[in-house]
Amino acid sequence: MHPEAADPDKLAPIIEKHLTNKWALIPLLQEVQEVFGYVPPEFLKPIADALGLYSAQVQGVVTFYAGFSLKPKGKYVLRCCRGTACHVKGSRSILRMMQNELGLDEGQTSQDYQFTLETVACLGACFLAPTMMVNHDYYGKLTPKKVLSVLDQYKKDSPG
Amino acid sequence: MGSVSLTINGKTISCSSEESLLDVADKHGFLIPRLCHHPELHPYGACRICIVEEEKSGRVMAACVTPANQGMIIQTASERVLRHRRNIVRLMMAEHPESCVVCNKGNRCRLRQIAAQLGVAETRLYPMPNFTMPEPLNAFITRDLSKCILCGKCIRADHELVSVGAIDYNLRGFHSRPSVLLDRGLEDSDCTFCGTCLSMCPTGALSATYPAYAGTPMKESNTICGFCGVGCTLSAGIVDGQIVEINPSNHHGTVNGATLCVRGHFAHDFLNSENRLVHPLARSNGKLEPVAWNVAIENAVQSLRSVKNTHGPQSLAFLGSSKCTNEENYLFQKLARTIYETGNIDNGGFLFGRSLVRAFERRIGAGPKQMKDILDAEAILVIGADVCQSAPVFSYHIKKAANKGVPIVVIDPAPTSLSDRALWLPVGIGSDTWLIYALIKVLILHNNLTGQSGDYHEVFKGNLAKFNLNGLIKTAGIDESLVIKAANVLKHKKISFVVGRGVLLQQEAQRVLDALLNLALLTGSISGKASGFYFPTYENNAAGADDMGACPDGLPGAMALTDEKSRRHWEKAWKVRLSPDNGLDMEQMIAAAENGTIKAMYIMGENPLRSMPDPLRVKKALEKLEFLVVQDILLTETAGMAHLVLPGAAACEKAGSFTNMEGRIQVFSQTVSPPAMARPDWEILDEILAKASNGNRYKTVEHVSLEICRFTDLYSASDRRNYKPFRQTAVNPDPILFSPVTFPEVPDSKDCKVLIGSLRYHSGGGTRTGFSKRIQATRLTHGAVLSPAYAKDLKLNEGDSVRIKSPAGTIEREISFNHKMPSGRIWIASGSFNNDVMHLLKLDRQSGRSCSVQIEKI
Repeated sequence: MHPEAADPDKLAPIIEKHLTNKWALIPLLQEVQEVFGYVPPEFLKPIADALGLYSAQVQGVVTFYAGFSLKPKGKYVLRCCRGTACHVKGSRSILRMMQNELGLDEGQTSQDYQFTLETVACLGACFLAPTMMVNHDYYGKLTPKKVLSVLDQYKKDSPG
Repeated sequence: MGSVSLTINGKTISCSSEESLLDVADKHGFLIPRLCHHPELHPYGACRICIVEEEKSGRVMAACVTPANQGMIIQTASERVLRHRRNIVRLMMAEHPESCVVCNKGNRCRLRQIAAQLGVAETRLYPMPNFTMPEPLNAFITRDLSKCILCGKCIRADHELVSVGAIDYNLRGFHSRPSVLLDRGLEDSDCTFCGTCLSMCPTGALSATYPAYAGTPMKESNTICGFCGVGCTLSAGIVDGQIVEINPSNHHGTVNGATLCVRGHFAHDFLNSENRLVHPLARSNGKLEPVAWNVAIENAVQSLRSVKNTHGPQSLAFLGSSKCTNEENYLFQKLARTIYETGNIDNGGFLFGRSLVRAFERRIGAGPKQMKDILDAEAILVIGADVCQSAPVFSYHIKKAANKGVPIVVIDPAPTSLSDRALWLPVGIGSDTWLIYALIKVLILHNNLTGQSGDYHEVFKGNLAKFNLNGLIKTAGIDESLVIKAANVLKHKKISFVVGRGVLLQQEAQRVLDALLNLALLTGSISGKASGFYFPTYENNAAGADDMGACPDGLPGAMALTDEKSRRHWEKAWKVRLSPDNGLDMEQMIAAAENGTIKAMYIMGENPLRSMPDPLRVKKALEKLEFLVVQDILLTETAGMAHLVLPGAAACEKAGSFTNMEGRIQVFSQTVSPPAMARPDWEILDEILAKASNGNRYKTVEHVSLEICRFTDLYSASDRRNYKPFRQTAVNPDPILFSPVTFPEVPDSKDCKVLIGSLRYHSGGGTRTGFSKRIQATRLTHGAVLSPAYAKDLKLNEGDSVRIKSPAGTIEREISFNHKMPSGRIWIASGSFNNDVMHLLKLDRQSGRSCSVQIEKI
């Protein structure tokens, strides 16, 4: 799978939809992020122009929030929790295992855009420590075996 | 807004509740250190250095963003406050690289000053410098973001003061830094290199590229910028008698506040160019050889006298300077009128259409307006003026107005830097008259005018009724929808007009001005604070040179030469007879030199060989002169062919006064001496005047200004000894009448047309800016700009080298693209490549700034 092409025709209706809102920028960016999987850098200027902002200001908002990315992300974004509870429960090893298994460092995306590996400070599910998320799904009480099976589930050639 | 009383450090103070604690403390002499605060910017509260303690609540808060409140008991330097301040500084220092020794900010670094005040030497923290190498990416600004303390001053200056928006914070936490879009270099962003951020930066994170000196200048001294007509106040940093850097002055109430533009900030390095003239030169055996001053002065006086005696006074011509001071232009025209008895006097402002502006201002009887008043405009119509390039600091006011929501309409055949924020009407070249009348017609049709009505109004309407709207719009070369949109923007509004050289240099400029005046009358926009006419002047003292009579149709005090009363006034003052006939203007002088009627010329501070159209013809004409004396600061093309060269001084090297585009008379004193043997121009003129008339010398520039005050109401304060802050505008008692609706010949729109515009990197013809090392080093393209679609028609690609031919001459350029350029038009900047673009133009009356060309690929 390849990242969604930055098609300006698809951007126009999104801008149109949010233009009249008072605080339009963040909801607009969220929708762009949702539709394209990232905020294509070439969209910063048209978004800024439409909202009467400077492009550098829009970029500042995009790069401030972890929820936005200027780079295309994989189909599945894996977030390994590195919060205190998970750390105590061995999330460092979980992360290392995921890195080895996927051949990715933190923040990297696989060449086939299947996976993006990220860490987060806390997923707020400490009772399930160590935890991870794949897109919107939680996986808790991870063990090496469970990590492997979760990853397998999302691999490209996996039937699941 | 109420009044409150509070206590600061034990002193009871009453103040307004709208003031911040920091402002109140400042007013009462309690100095609180600060890093992110600047009086010209909105308070921000980023650095937290200005924290103070409120005793009752025990709260510690940033004074810059805390409003004064009733009953507060504030301590600005208690033990607790100092401890917190020290900790903040310690944290900043722990993140700062240890390169203070080689930092250009030197002792002016605010962080270093505050650390010293608080006695923070060792942070005793684990150092975590965010180290990056300095990045000298462009010829103006070098950044070293490891020294950034994230005070946001650069960003706020960029957004609030110059409204460019090239930079903002990027990323978060430790990684957070100011950055341009996509973290590219500044040269790939919207940055205009005005350098305002650099002067604001409290640390060494931003510094000038190619610094002439590393560290703190020994002395700082204020002067007035010598480039455009805005007249910014500069603070010149001086080391060993040389100007090593320029910043905006920190005086209050200046034209520019804390801003500058790229020329003012960075191009002054031309002052230290090796091409400066440092001693008088006289031609002997065909070569210019140094001579002593007394020989040079004698030579000038005698040679001019002998030409006058042989060929009569009308064989002399004097070209004064729109860059020299009021006093110098006064002396210069006095020399011409009283000693050599000729009225052939002009100044370089002619090349920017000043003669029309003079006549227009006399007609409407309203002088120039203050730039800041444009912030209160209801609507702004910018016509033929790319102010962001030609008078950048004026454009900051217009952009601020735009940010406030003031609608802007731009009428220009090419996109300007303002057209993105405005409704742009891409008018056909030379079709402005039709467009303005089309606009008026739409406004009348919808009854959308606010101006007075009356008989004249009805007669005018009747005259205009003869013309068909569709015909007008068609000839204007523009979409009807755009005209209607513009009329909607302007309806029921008084208009502030900004009229530039795109109009003033047209062949039919007078008709365009007439049409604009009609529009102004109909909309009631002639006078009043929030409406009226702005004519940006492109040279620092173009207005002053005219006011001082260095023009063929005027006398000092902006009096008309044809007016008998004015003539008598000056005849009495100077004890001479004055001819009522207008002298030759700059163009006529060249034509007269060509046909042999002008035999000698005195050129002060102008370089016609570079700034005038058809330089080859100008050169041939000047070669015919029996005697040419050039007084200048650089060895220019014109000085190179003179018989006698007198080295003068740049603006900051002498005292005097300039009158800016608002009519503000700005007196300044000398900051450094002129190099080597060069002398202030007024001193040279003073000596020549004294020698030629066997009279007394003025000796000081103040004596010259006293004489100007004595004889001109326009400039003199009531004490008759000093200038007023603003020239008093001449009041025209007669009612202003509508002009007849007339049109020029329909311009032919078939040919490929070149439009000559300006770029902010060069001032005028670029003589001085061309000698600036930094301007020379910019890799910003100065190519021939056209739209990709039109390039396709011409079978050209971006980057192709082309030969551009007009009936007058040929130049070569590289093709660059701008999607917004209308088809059939090619835009070329003046100033760069020795201003060779002037070769395309013919030297005739109002040759304008456009011509038909042919293009061939090389």
